[in-house]
Amino acid sequence: MAQLVQALALGVLIGGIYALMASGLTLIFGVLRVINIAQGAFLILVATFTWWLWRVIGIDPIVAAVITTPLMFGVGWLLYRFVISRIRGQAPSMSVLLTFGLALVIEGVLNVVAGNKFRSATPAYFEESFRVGRVLLPKAQVYGFLAAIVVLGVLYLILTRTWTGRAIRATSQNPSAAALVGVGATGTAALAFALGSASAGVGGSILSVLYPFFPASHYDWISRLLGIVVLGGMGSLPGALTGALILGLAETLTATYASLQWATLVFYLVIMAVLLVRPQGLFGARLREDAA
Amino acid sequence: MNALRALPRRHLAAGVVLLALLAYPIVNPWEPYPQGVLLMMFLLALQASSWNIISGYAGYISLGHSMFLGLGSYTTAIIALHTGLNPFWIAPLGGVTAVLIAMLAGAVVLRTGGHAFVIITIALLLSAQIVAVNWRPLTKGSDGITLELPFWSADFQNIPFYYAFLLLLVLTVLFSGWIGRAKFGTGLVAIREDEGKAASIGVNTTVFKILAYGASSFFIGVAGGVYAYYQTFLNPVGSFAILGSVLIVLSALVGGRGTLYGPVVGAFIVQLVNEGATVYGGSTQSRVLILGLILVAVVLFLPAGLLPTLEAAWRRRHPRDTEYTDQVGALSHRPAVVRERARSRTPDAEPGPLLTVRGVTKRFGGLTAVDGADLTVERGSITALIGPNGSGKTTLFNLITGTMPVDAGTVTFAGRRIDALPPWSRAHLGLGRTFQVTRLFRDMTVLQNVVAPLPDGRLRTMFADAVSGAEAARARDLLGIVGLADFAAQQAGALSYGQQKLVELAQVLMLEPRLILLDEPAGGVNPSLLGRITEVIRELNRAGVTFLVVEHNIPMVLDLCDPVHVFARGRPIASGPPEAIRADPVVLDAYLGEDWRPQDAHA
Repeated sequence: MAQLVQALALGVLIGGIYALMASGLTLIFGVLRVINIAQGAFLILVATFTWWLWRVIGIDPIVAAVITTPLMFGVGWLLYRFVISRIRGQAPSMSVLLTFGLALVIEGVLNVVAGNKFRSATPAYFEESFRVGRVLLPKAQVYGFLAAIVVLGVLYLILTRTWTGRAIRATSQNPSAAALVGVGATGTAALAFALGSASAGVGGSILSVLYPFFPASHYDWISRLLGIVVLGGMGSLPGALTGALILGLAETLTATYASLQWATLVFYLVIMAVLLVRPQGLFGARLREDAA
Repeated sequence: MNALRALPRRHLAAGVVLLALLAYPIVNPWEPYPQGVLLMMFLLALQASSWNIISGYAGYISLGHSMFLGLGSYTTAIIALHTGLNPFWIAPLGGVTAVLIAMLAGAVVLRTGGHAFVIITIALLLSAQIVAVNWRPLTKGSDGITLELPFWSADFQNIPFYYAFLLLLVLTVLFSGWIGRAKFGTGLVAIREDEGKAASIGVNTTVFKILAYGASSFFIGVAGGVYAYYQTFLNPVGSFAILGSVLIVLSALVGGRGTLYGPVVGAFIVQLVNEGATVYGGSTQSRVLILGLILVAVVLFLPAGLLPTLEAAWRRRHPRDTEYTDQVGALSHRPAVVRERARSRTPDAEPGPLLTVRGVTKRFGGLTAVDGADLTVERGSITALIGPNGSGKTTLFNLITGTMPVDAGTVTFAGRRIDALPPWSRAHLGLGRTFQVTRLFRDMTVLQNVVAPLPDGRLRTMFADAVSGAEAARARDLLGIVGLADFAAQQAGALSYGQQKLVELAQVLMLEPRLILLDEPAGGVNPSLLGRITEVIRELNRAGVTFLVVEHNIPMVLDLCDPVHVFARGRPIASGPPEAIRADPVVLDAYLGEDWRPQDAHA
């Protein structure tokens, strides 16, 4: 019983962190209809940078999110302005290929600059845990979860309470109508891409503590994140949260009762099972396309 | 000699290159290194050419295609290990495994037009690696499998492998070319350009995509078996490396996605660059960077790829001049052709309802677009559906043709319930439609547009030759009917709006429809073309085709159609012959407005 509660608690903690990571991907897709294959590479890029900040300057890896988040916001904005925006209006498959190329470039740069080896940031609390009854909650996981929840909350407030957020949501629903009422499509798109990248800023910093990583790890991560987003329904934020929770639980439960090696596989099987029943994902809506 | 001249230049060039490659090991047998490089070029080229079927023709990008090479390798190696048979003879089974896995996964993720496919392609690759590492009894895990050495004398070096890969490459290209020429290929391109429209002209998009994914995996799987034998060793990391997929994607993109020879040319270039980077650039690490930079650069600056870009440049210098001479003749025997065909397909000349809509409802959130609507279309009639904007006419069309599912109610066509059928099945039953805003496949030629529809779901139809022979001849005839035979070779996107409407009509006629739904055939069309359209509609109707027309051009409707149904707020409010509708006060009030007087119709 305690084992089950332990697995569930860990699953929720990890699910919250996955939710943060996937939120950026789903936001970018919702507004731009771009599947950002480079999102995983963003995470690894930030994780590597965070590791360096921790190792060389001594900044706590999770606190480092304060630096990496605005940094990634800027990187995302520039990337959109100078690279991604050039293929607007082209077939959606081109954006998959372009962001795949960007992911490779980031992987290559990390390979050359940081070297092809496993890393992990191990601050003092790395191996400590909070004890709640008979359940052990690793401190790193708890801190990461809290940071993720705070950032998700802020993201939610930005999207629902500010003019910028309304502009982003309006553009995601109907770009041409948004443009007609004075929402500049390019500016909004750049903002959405920047916000999505910024979420990888926080996510990457948290990742550096929780998972060992190396440059090519981004394939694992993008595959996980895309899985979450597909499971929840492309472009749906509640869908991403649900998908993330399911992935977190599937992983910890499989790791507890079977073995960690099969955890990812179990998740893919869950995706296949869901898609078998609901081809559009859990929260995916089929909008009317005739009146676009 | 004349036969050779008639061949397009690109086939001629491909033949010459093939002859040279066939001769190379004979001319220069003692150089293993260049042979090894060429062999890897063939392997990459056949993978890129296969990838092109799903990701080039159909536009569904696979980022994990090298998985099929690994699957083929493992299948062959495991069977060879247990049976002692020579891997060469088992290699085709590698292709079978690849097809099975592709079609199984495809059957799950390719049912929607969504983006689940991209992720699944990466996930499959990673999953395959996980399985290969962890299923030790079968795969020997990370230790990998070692195969016996080739049975031939060392004097032959790798020359048998050289020819094996070259043969597989030739087969792959022939296969891809055959698909491209068949209606299957046209349908795949239609899916790439506009999946919803493709479904409405009878393309079973789900089956097409699943078959395309399967077809794109077979030769890679076979090659995987041969490759395992060539390497005599395989392990999970090497067999399921994502870098292999990167090379495939890059090759097809560099050479020209969606073309026959583009992926081959691209693969030769990419493999040479890759080889160069390995020899001179050092590590795998920097190779990823180089490949990534090339990929980004190609997407941004050469999105069409090398071959199409060169071809376009060539075209600009050497414009075609003899394109439409042979089609002019089609115009002359136009009327006879129409009647003959339409009659052959519509034996049901006796009166009675062809289409019956009962209590059909569709809601979008809080908006009820169609509200318990009833509608009957009599066999052989030209029925009109008029009504103010937003009254639900187009939505009703979408419900009848299956573009969207009904919330409630039934649709019966020719005595058969069709409201649960997918759009393509309705098209196969003889239900055709045009769109309010034309939806031609803009990057296809006019002729390809007209050839694309499938009147039934049989495999024979699917794999019929599309670009020549009977289908193409019929398409030319139909273009003649709408008076556009001269434009067969033009890009559809280059036509005027009114011409596009006519092409769309010809496209629908290819379905041999019994009922055609026309959504605002007169919208945005100039008067002279409009005359042409009504003339064609009348002619087809005389030949037995029934019409349901949504139109705002009231004089045209009252002149052409009988009966006329008037729609308002999602349901019909009046029905009757045009004379009655013209005078009905309810209609005048709801739709035509108070200013409208009957005599205007004659003005």
